[in-house]
Amino acid sequence: MNPVGSVTVVAHGLGGSADLPIPLTYALIGAAWALTFTFAVVALAWKRPRFDPDKPGRELPAWVTTAVDAPVTRWAVGLIGLAFAAWVGLAAFLGPQNSENPLPGVFYVLMWVGLVAASLVLGPVWRVISPVRTVHRILGGRSLRSYPEALGYWPAALGLFAFVWLELASPDPGSLAAIRNWLLIYLVVTLAGAFVCGTRWCARADPFEVYGIVVSRLSALRRNPDGCIAIGNPFDHLPSLPVRPGIVAVLSVLLGSTAFDSFSARPQWRTFISDTAGSAATATLIKTAGLLVFAGVVAATFWLAARATGGVDRQQRRALPGQMAHSLIPIVVGYVFAHYLTYLIERGQQTVYLLLGMDGNVNYFLSLHPSVLSTLKVAFVVAGHIAGVVAAHDRALRLLPKAHQLTGQLAMMLVMVGYTFTGLYLLFGG
Amino acid sequence: MNVRASMVVLMAAALLAAGCGDKGQNYTELTPSSATAANPSELPDHQTPPDRLVFRLQIKEGQVTPTNKQFQAAVGQPIIIRVDSDAADELHVHSNPEHSFKIEAGPGQLFQFTVDVPGKVDVELHELDKTVATITVR
Repeated sequence: MNPVGSVTVVAHGLGGSADLPIPLTYALIGAAWALTFTFAVVALAWKRPRFDPDKPGRELPAWVTTAVDAPVTRWAVGLIGLAFAAWVGLAAFLGPQNSENPLPGVFYVLMWVGLVAASLVLGPVWRVISPVRTVHRILGGRSLRSYPEALGYWPAALGLFAFVWLELASPDPGSLAAIRNWLLIYLVVTLAGAFVCGTRWCARADPFEVYGIVVSRLSALRRNPDGCIAIGNPFDHLPSLPVRPGIVAVLSVLLGSTAFDSFSARPQWRTFISDTAGSAATATLIKTAGLLVFAGVVAATFWLAARATGGVDRQQRRALPGQMAHSLIPIVVGYVFAHYLTYLIERGQQTVYLLLGMDGNVNYFLSLHPSVLSTLKVAFVVAGHIAGVVAAHDRALRLLPKAHQLTGQLAMMLVMVGYTFTGLYLLFGG
Repeated sequence: MNVRASMVVLMAAALLAAGCGDKGQNYTELTPSSATAANPSELPDHQTPPDRLVFRLQIKEGQVTPTNKQFQAAVGQPIIIRVDSDAADELHVHSNPEHSFKIEAGPGQLFQFTVDVPGKVDVELHELDKTVATITVR
C-alpha cells in the first residue's frame, strides 16, 4: 500500500489530530498576567541579586549520591540505554514499514519531548543513557585530541537545527527512511567526535545531551560543589548554565522552532505554501527559510536586548547575551510543555504500546478536556515567562552597573513579553 | 476498519437506492434539486442539516478542490466526504484514532466517519500529498 519506508505525510510525522486552539479569553488572561508580573518585577522586586549558583542546596542522604555514582549503576543504565537503542534500531529496519513502526514516536516524542521532562525532573540524564557514550566507554574511552574550545555549543546548535529541520521543514518528516538516515548520520558524527575529541564532544556537540544539560538547569535536583546530590531552588541552579560560544543559538533554535511549529499549522501559511511551491523541494526551501527566520528573530532580538544597556564597556557588552542566556531556559521549557504536552502524554502512550507490540487503549484525558488543556498551556507559558523574567532581573542586578539597572532591563523585559505574547497568540491560532 | 468500510458501503448503497434511480456509479447529490415525491428516508437530511457535516472533494487531473478548507464539527457528529475522482488515491483522516479510505477513480464515492477525540483533524490525500481540509472538532 505505502511505498517502503514512507508513512503518512503529516506534521511531526506522527499522525493523529493536533490540539485545539486555546480560547481567546485564556490567551488574553495569560498575556495580562505576563505583562503585569513583568513590570512588577522590574519596578518593585528585590534590588540586590538573590540567586547564586554557588549556594549549595539541601543535601540528600549520602547513599543517594553513592548509589547514583556507583559504576554498577552507570554501567547498568548505560547498557539499558544501548539495548533500547538497539531494539529501536531493529524495529526501524525489520519492523512493519508503516505507521505501526515505533520509530517516529520514539524519535519525535520520547527523545525530543520526553528528554525535556526527564531532564527537568532528574537532571542531565542523556549523559548516562547516551548509547554513544556507552559504546565509547566499552571500546576503551580513548581519544586522539581535546575538544576545540572555540567550537563551544555550535555543533549542538547545528544538530538541534538538523532535528527541527527534519521535523518541520523536510519533505516527509514521517518517513522511516528519513528518520533512519538522520539517526545514522547522528550516530556516525557523534561516535567519530567521541573517538577523536573524547567525551567532551558528547557534552558540547551531541544535540540531545546539550538540550538535556540546558533543561536540567531548571531542575530542583543538582550537585553541590562537593559532588553531593542536593535539592535546591532552581533559580540558584539556572545561572550555572555554562556560557560557551553558541549557547544563545542553541536556545534560539529551541524556542524559534517551537514557535514555527505553531505557526506552520496556520491555514494561511499552508495555503501560501501550496500556492507558491510548485514542488516538494520548493516547499522544503520555503519552510527551511521560515524556520531560519524564526530562530534568527529569537536570536537577534535576545542578543540586541541583552546588549541594550548603558554603563558597560565593549568587552562586557559582548559577554552580556551569553551571561543572560540562562533566563531563556524557563521560557523554552514552558513553551515546549505548552506545545507538546499532549504529544508527550498521548503519543507517548501510543509509542510505548507500539514498542511493546501491545494493543493498548490510549488515554485521551487531556484532549477530551480542552479547557483543562488550555488552562495548562497558558499556565506553562506564563509560568515560564515569569521564571524567565525573574532570572533575567536577578542576573541584571548582578551584571549591570547600579545607575543602569532599571533601564538596562527594560529591553530584555520587552523582548520576553514579546516572546510570550507571540507564543500565546500562536497557541490561540490567530 | 472492515465494519466501518462495510457501513460506508451500506450507506452509499442506501443513498443510491434512495436517489434518482440512476443505477450506475453516479450518485448526484445528497440534496436532490428535483422536488418530486419526497422520499421519507431523505427527510432527516433536510430537517437536521447541522447533525452532519458534508463536503465535496474533487480530484481532476491532479488538481484538488478544495485545499486547506476549514470546517467546524462536533465530537461524534457524522462527517461525510463525497469524492469525485479521476484517479485512485487514499484519503487519510488524522484523527485519534486515524481513518483511512481508499479512493477509486469514479464519481460519487461517499466516506463517512466520526471523530471522538476533540482536536484539529487534517484530511489529506496521500498520493497527491495535499491537505484537503482541517476540521476543528470540539
